[in-house]
Amino acid sequence: MNPDTRAIRVWDLPTRLFHWSLVASFATAFLTSESEKLRDIHVIAGYTLAGLLVFRLLWGFVGGGYSRFAEFLPTPRKVIDYLKSLLNGKPQHYIGHNPAGAVAIFLLLGMGAVASASGWAVYESLGGHFMEELHEVVANGMMALVAIHIAGVIVSSWLHKENLIRAMITGWKHLRNADTAG
Amino acid sequence: MRHILIIATVFFTASAQAETPRDFLQRFEKEAGAAASPERGARFFTTKQGGEWSCSSCHTGTPTQAGRHAKTDKAITPLAPAANAERFTDAARVDKWFRRNCNDTLNRVCSAQEKADVIAWLLSLK
Repeated sequence: MNPDTRAIRVWDLPTRLFHWSLVASFATAFLTSESEKLRDIHVIAGYTLAGLLVFRLLWGFVGGGYSRFAEFLPTPRKVIDYLKSLLNGKPQHYIGHNPAGAVAIFLLLGMGAVASASGWAVYESLGGHFMEELHEVVANGMMALVAIHIAGVIVSSWLHKENLIRAMITGWKHLRNADTAG
Repeated sequence: MRHILIIATVFFTASAQAETPRDFLQRFEKEAGAAASPERGARFFTTKQGGEWSCSSCHTGTPTQAGRHAKTDKAITPLAPAANAERFTDAARVDKWFRRNCNDTLNRVCSAQEKADVIAWLLSLK
């Protein structure tokens, strides 16, 4: 290993399993959304997603270091400073979630909860057309956020010269020794 | 101020203009360039069109009655306007459900003629 870098375990196994399971369940739910024939698969994917969210909510309080909500709670100040630093071309480096990513995460968790609850209501014929619309609007909003999240990961990986996708698979980040903890 | 009034007028006209099943019949007949046939619509609705399901798999062969989802067994409100005044009154919903259900039953989109025929038949049911 390069002597100028050190490896650090950023994402614990439960966080990584949660992340990729959420990807799989949301993708499954999204791809089966238009079909009545696949409605049972859609519902199973939705319940899976809801269960994963419950786990993440608990893990945000009892999980390891960088997985805890308290570690990456985005204050308006932090978000503005971070976005400014991006525009200045001198992006602040965070070992865990950066503040913009953190906003996306809390939004995704919240919207996932609304999508799950409204999906359940639609399936139980509660709430009428309004509930149906809400379910679709929120799910589409989540997909838009996912797109922004992926774009953010690519831009961040490039700006900081670190492979964030690999980090979410292996859990490890290779930090330059000059990096300070964020 | 005048602009706001115009925008408000357009908005309220658009939202207040609830469509009727006849409007959709006319729209699809116009798109198809031919008159609808209720008999053809009945045949189309109650027989399989290449897929595993027909329309009647969920909506029953007498859509003045409530249907039952072929996969989930959930109740479906009647499709015929005579039995359910909500049906075919909202363009977004009509387009959405033709898109979804045609794909489930035909593995393709429905033609304007097919939609016109089905609506003509549903309107003939009392």
